[in-house]
Amino acid sequence: MKQIINVDSLTDIISNSVGILIILAVVNLIHDNSKAYQLEIPIEHQSELSPVFIIAKDDSLILLDTDMIFTNAAMQATDGAAGGKRIFPLEYGQLFGQIDDDHGIMFHAQDIEGSEDWHHFSTLEKNKSRLRQQLNKIDPKKQFAYFFVYDEVGESNISGSGFESFRKAREYLKSRHIKSGWKPVDSDNPASICDVSFSPLCKYLPSYLGSS
Amino acid sequence: MANRASRYARYLPEQKLEISLFPFLSIFLSVMGVLSFINILSSIHSPQKIEMATELEQGYKVAFQMFSLPDGIIIVPPVSRLKDLQKKVTDADVRDEIASIIVQREQFIANVKTYKGSLDDFAVAPDVDNIVALLKEIRFVNEEALKHNFLYEEFILFGIYPNGGKAYHKVRDVMAYSEDAASISIGLEPLDANWTLNINGTPTLDSQQGVSQ
Repeated sequence: MKQIINVDSLTDIISNSVGILIILAVVNLIHDNSKAYQLEIPIEHQSELSPVFIIAKDDSLILLDTDMIFTNAAMQATDGAAGGKRIFPLEYGQLFGQIDDDHGIMFHAQDIEGSEDWHHFSTLEKNKSRLRQQLNKIDPKKQFAYFFVYDEVGESNISGSGFESFRKAREYLKSRHIKSGWKPVDSDNPASICDVSFSPLCKYLPSYLGSS
Repeated sequence: MANRASRYARYLPEQKLEISLFPFLSIFLSVMGVLSFINILSSIHSPQKIEMATELEQGYKVAFQMFSLPDGIIIVPPVSRLKDLQKKVTDADVRDEIASIIVQREQFIANVKTYKGSLDDFAVAPDVDNIVALLKEIRFVNEEALKHNFLYEEFILFGIYPNGGKAYHKVRDVMAYSEDAASISIGLEPLDANWTLNINGTPTLDSQQGVSQ
């Protein structure tokens, strides 16, 4: 006995679905075009809180373990590897360091792929992620987070390579009442840590309020 | 009578109860399609526009906006509350000076609004003399507001577009060594390339500008 499959119903279903999707797409487009977002107004302010430095690049974040970094840099300087503004490996998060009179110690993050010290911002959503654990250690009464955010654009991207991860981390910190500040960095203006006595540019101030 | 009916029923062809699943399937698949579509939309959703109002305030602090683009900066200065300050000022010279600042700023905003090309082309490389002059102007306005007990303070709000850091650093370098800038508050926010400037119908920033750099 032959079985005849009627395709009419299937066509009907598909055309129904496609029609609804097109209508929704048009509605969404119209709705989106009329959307307007108010710019955040974070204002830098003096604070007695001490900064915890974080670099945001390629949708990933790294908390700078300053004790380890300065120890490594000091060892390199003692060995003479850090002299004459030479770039040397910091042996931390595949970062390279450079010592300069005006900028203190500069951090060059070139190829960060495969490093265990860098964490994708999406891991912030997981309770037991290392990034979350590291951020949770920031004491809002004594510290604030200061981000060096790469503004260079990656391939097929509309955002600076560190913008999205910075925004996500900032929101997370805000929910924990931790203040944050930031500045854009790139390969010509890399992240640097120095004392304000070296240069007035060596200021790290919080701007985003930690309270919701 | 009953016998007749039962005899009649015995000879009736057997009829099965058939339920068409088509309407159920149709609705089910349509709903699934719609839900998955909404899900995809919400997962890739990002703000398409940011309202770059010329007047952006936080309490008595009013933003003097600087948008940092790969090719330079675009300045959007505040005006409306400055006019209120002008009314408060009693000294004729100061009032005239504030009036000239208002005229200059209104002219600048009008130029931005009437510009027909891409806003990226409208951005100008930060010039040290211009930045110094702007800082002096903001300081002057803030000091006059303070003198006249008028709750008004201008601060610089940087909007940083992708690859816009270089222009920002140049401005901050000048500010770091300027006495006028010492009392001026600063704010900064990262902006995506597809976040458009929309100053009362001004041309939009092409979404490709940041990507193509």
